[in-house]
Amino acid sequence: MGRYLLGRIARGLLSVIIVSGIVMALTYACMDRNLIFAQDPVYSRQRGNARQVYQMQQWENYGYVDYVSFEDYLSKEGLEPLPLGDSPEEDSSATAEQVARFTAAYEAEGYTVTRLNARTRGQKYQEGGEPRLFASRDVPFLPRFWKWLTGLIVVDNIHAAKGEVGQRGISFTWFDPAYGGERFSPAIMGNGTHHKYLLYFDGRFPYIHQNLITLRLGQSYSVNQGVDVFETMTDSQGKRQPEEIVYPSGLEALSADDLHSATYVQGSLAAGDAVVKAHFTDDYTNVTTRKQGLSKLGYSFTIGLLSVGLAYCIGIPVGLWMARKKGRLADRLGTAYVVGIIAVPTLAYIFLFRSIGQRLGLPTAFDVDAPTLWMYVLPVVSLGLPAAANLMKWLRRYTIDQMDENYVRFARSCGLVEGKIFRSHVLKNAAIPIYHGLPASVLGALVGAIITERVYVVPGAGGLLTDAIGAYDNGVIVGLTLFYAVISVAAVILGDLIVAAVDPRIRLSDTRR
Amino acid sequence: MDLSEYGTPEELFAPVPAEAAGEEERIDAPAYSYWRSVARVFFSKKINWLLLGLLLVIVVFSFLYPAVIGYDPEVDPYANLLDSESRHLSPQKAIEKYGFGLKWIFGTGAAGQSTFDAVWYGAGISLSLALIAAAINLTVGVAVGALWGMSRRVDKVMTEIYNIFANIPYILLISVLVLVLSADFWTMVLALTVTGWLGIAYFIRTQVMIIRDREYNLASRCLGTPLWRILVRNVLPYMTSVVVTLAAAEIPSYISYEVFLSYIGMGISQMSLGKLIQSAQSAMLTPGWGMEFWSPVAVASAITVVLYVLGQNLGDASDPKRHI
Repeated sequence: MGRYLLGRIARGLLSVIIVSGIVMALTYACMDRNLIFAQDPVYSRQRGNARQVYQMQQWENYGYVDYVSFEDYLSKEGLEPLPLGDSPEEDSSATAEQVARFTAAYEAEGYTVTRLNARTRGQKYQEGGEPRLFASRDVPFLPRFWKWLTGLIVVDNIHAAKGEVGQRGISFTWFDPAYGGERFSPAIMGNGTHHKYLLYFDGRFPYIHQNLITLRLGQSYSVNQGVDVFETMTDSQGKRQPEEIVYPSGLEALSADDLHSATYVQGSLAAGDAVVKAHFTDDYTNVTTRKQGLSKLGYSFTIGLLSVGLAYCIGIPVGLWMARKKGRLADRLGTAYVVGIIAVPTLAYIFLFRSIGQRLGLPTAFDVDAPTLWMYVLPVVSLGLPAAANLMKWLRRYTIDQMDENYVRFARSCGLVEGKIFRSHVLKNAAIPIYHGLPASVLGALVGAIITERVYVVPGAGGLLTDAIGAYDNGVIVGLTLFYAVISVAAVILGDLIVAAVDPRIRLSDTRR
Repeated sequence: MDLSEYGTPEELFAPVPAEAAGEEERIDAPAYSYWRSVARVFFSKKINWLLLGLLLVIVVFSFLYPAVIGYDPEVDPYANLLDSESRHLSPQKAIEKYGFGLKWIFGTGAAGQSTFDAVWYGAGISLSLALIAAAINLTVGVAVGALWGMSRRVDKVMTEIYNIFANIPYILLISVLVLVLSADFWTMVLALTVTGWLGIAYFIRTQVMIIRDREYNLASRCLGTPLWRILVRNVLPYMTSVVVTLAAAEIPSYISYEVFLSYIGMGISQMSLGKLIQSAQSAMLTPGWGMEFWSPVAVASAITVVLYVLGQNLGDASDPKRHI
């Protein structure tokens, strides 16, 4: 059993990696990289050589190319900046020597060195017409994929912070200093680690948090600049939520700063303004703010879970009832509903639910800053009722199939009461495929619902992928694909495990036949 | 006994020629034609006549009507552009303004164009898209699925491929394709078919595997029938009702997909139903402009429901167990 499971998980992981690889190859190779600039106001303002350089810099940010300018090269070599001549012939001898070394060094590494001559009008440069020299090369697929794959899971360690941090090590305290050092709240803190707090408690679900292992799915460039997708999904949203906190300097304040999120930024204390100096005593100054709302994942999951609950509460009893009243009015009405949901475009019935809800006076837009329970009603109903239809359809089918089986006829001929046959024999067998789908619907709630969230303005995770595609944010696209693929693989494996647990006839690791 | 009413003595007592040997083995069963029985069962339900009538109306309006009125998607939507009085009219006001005509029964849109014309022109595009995509996916899906189910070696390879590709989000693939190639009709067909057949093939594979190991096929194999012949003669005919039922679910789902993709801004450039719904969604919030939004939604729903129910009933009728 254990070995079988390990094999399944390994195969699932392999499939996830291949899918991410395919998507990465697809997005980087197929998407026209010039499209990034279609809606970029900076790009359209640039002229001449400056525009080409800007293009290269952006491509480097999006991960298409490796780009090194002559100036970067000089400063990396520890040399003084040298002015470029208007054309290679006009370079001073010192410049010409460095240009030759730059060209030789980068061409040896497979870069293409581009020299853009000055564009002059009379004695002056045209706008953006300064001479430029840079080396660039397309990032090859395999190194990029490998780098991404190995950077997925980051384990914090005491050598993570660069620079002078004093005594590196991990300490444990019963009294978290963020609460003033008097309240009982155990925490594990590090010095020299990237995060200051590695394990801590606070008032937010699930109350115990860790920063030791961080998932890095892919850095966003345009959707949420510089932030990892996973962070975009899990960060709280909405209004700031101030609390009484005690800064490392001992200053007590009512602030929304989340001290537990402090990360190391080299030299930030020295470079910081008076406020930073008053708050902090070391370089762990980068904190996020606490917000009142849930994260994108949180909203999607809450709505998803509630709708799954609704779907099962309606779908199971109605499906069973339809099966028992097969061919009668109840069954026909139910079937009509199922056909309607399957046949009508999703968009159409969501708008129908919305306009009915509006007539009833329910809020049709989600408001993160003024949350009420009522605003969950319409999204949950819009997701739950169609899901219930699907459940009704299958449960009815399975139950009717089971009722035609010989063992039911046998039980009946033995004189068993109809209700008893149904409850303890038919139901047990008919429910097995339903158990199989349970993990998929629960985990699927994490993915979010694109249309529902858009229609009801829910700040959930459903629109992330379409947003990323719209903004050509390849890092986010690949990260989300990995996330979705892991969820779908995990759902199938969990479903099989549950079925094996409830049905003694099924043994997953059975190799004998 | 007078036999003359049955024929002349020459006819009645003629020797059977040697060429017709085997005639004595023939069993005189009532004539059975599969498709005629399908038609008989199908047309015995009155609702199917009604649905066929509706389908005919839909086909006439989406393909013939735009041709008859000479609808030009480049010109007609902007015909009333300069007349600010003609914008966003409810059906009642449009009829008051232009006099009664089919053209105005859904009112007018943001540029004063006839919603009715736009909706049916869009329906034609959406319907063609769905039919073409379904035809390709079903053909490839059934062919691959049949092979996949019959051969164990193919099964091993294909199952691994399926496990990998089934995890790629469908929207992702479609939108990357739409972005790479321009967003036109044939790109969308490509996007819907590039992995769409995989799911169908997997479904068919399971069905084929169930039938493959039935006793009659085992017997057929023992008698030395080649695998190919078993597939074409014994297994695939069994699939007719399955394939029809599948098609019934597939065609509406492509229309639904098209509407969905257009709504999230990844649709085609032609004014399909999805595109109409997307462009009219802001009108939905303004009182009195609702018709602009609801009429394409209603037409899309009507098309999908009619096709789905009709297909399900045809699938039921093509199941030989119901022919008795």
